[in-house]
Amino acid sequence: MGTEPEVEHPNIRRARFETLVRDELIEPLRRFLLRRTDPATADDVLAETLLVCWRRFDEVPEPALPWAYGVARNCLANAQRSVRRQERVAAKLAVVDSPREAGDPVGSRDDALHEALERLRDSDAELLRLWAWEQLTPAEIATVLDVTANAVSIRLHRSRQELREELGKVEAAAGHEESEGGISSDR
Amino acid sequence: MTDDELFDRLRAADPAASLPPADPDRVARFLEEAMTDDTLTESRETGTHHRSPLTWLVAAAAAVLIAGAGAGAFALLNTGDDTTPPTAGGEPTAPESTVTELTMPGATAGRCMVPNAGLLSQAAYAVDAEAISVADGVVTLDATEWYAGNPTDQVEVDQSSADMQALIGATEFEEGQRYLVAGTEGGQVMVCGFSGAYTDTLAALYSEAFGS
Repeated sequence: MGTEPEVEHPNIRRARFETLVRDELIEPLRRFLLRRTDPATADDVLAETLLVCWRRFDEVPEPALPWAYGVARNCLANAQRSVRRQERVAAKLAVVDSPREAGDPVGSRDDALHEALERLRDSDAELLRLWAWEQLTPAEIATVLDVTANAVSIRLHRSRQELREELGKVEAAAGHEESEGGISSDR
Repeated sequence: MTDDELFDRLRAADPAASLPPADPDRVARFLEEAMTDDTLTESRETGTHHRSPLTWLVAAAAAVLIAGAGAGAFALLNTGDDTTPPTAGGEPTAPESTVTELTMPGATAGRCMVPNAGLLSQAAYAVDAEAISVADGVVTLDATEWYAGNPTDQVEVDQSSADMQALIGATEFEEGQRYLVAGTEGGQVMVCGFSGAYTDTLAALYSEAFGS
């Protein structure tokens, strides 16, 4: 059989990358980002994420997606940090809306659930999103967050519990809606 | 509420649940932007800064260069119409020894298209072939499979005027080696990663482009 060249032709490499992105990454990454930020930021961060994936193409593991989520997550955090910086400088510019309110809302609204998620610690809410929205296993979540699978399992259990509790409170408050108008925050 | 119920409720509130697929043009643009990055100088931390588009040229220079005019994209503009397609008539087997003659394009400044099955499928000739001789700048190949074009007994590639290193990537035609070679209607070898030494990756591209 033919000999495999020592150095991969740059364009073969491009073709491989393109296939990976089209077949495995682009749609899940778009969803991942649109679940967490506004469409404009999602677009920018998606471009950045693909750039990093390309630059680190040799390190991409198999399967690539959990790793790529991790990249996207870091890129998003960077983007949000820089947005916060800009906002400090030009406080008037509201570049980033609260994620779920942004753009055209897709999917049905479950306000109580979103409210409850909002009330969790970020890290807990993120675990639950990765679990239910990206539908990752604890091992895959561990790759995204760069922690151990065991830690994920334990924290996931706790996060689910906390979500149930917050949901109960939010719904209870909605029950006597208008009476007080507020939901006590307990943390 | 059980874990399953909680899961279902979260699923139902997924803001991206009914997101339509990305517009293909935008996907292409994302890819183009990403691969503008020059991997050869990947020393910067995986930060957030976009790379300068001129890094493209560095990568492109390592490959080969095609003056891609418009949609054709890989058809080169140099050299005359000195090559002719094989025998007309579409006979699968020719009575006498037949040859498909191809030339290598000269090194022309320009940029490569990313090899893809769509473009490759437009090739007029495409073969899986072994180089049986290299002499006087002419490579003679014995095709074991014709993906496109009327099969002839042999394929000759005139590479006398070409910088092979540049054109095919780090591969030069060598006797006894196996290659995948595609050519345009005008009889020019499609370079830039469309032709080269046989690899599984390249073979997969050929299968995708011409596969049944």
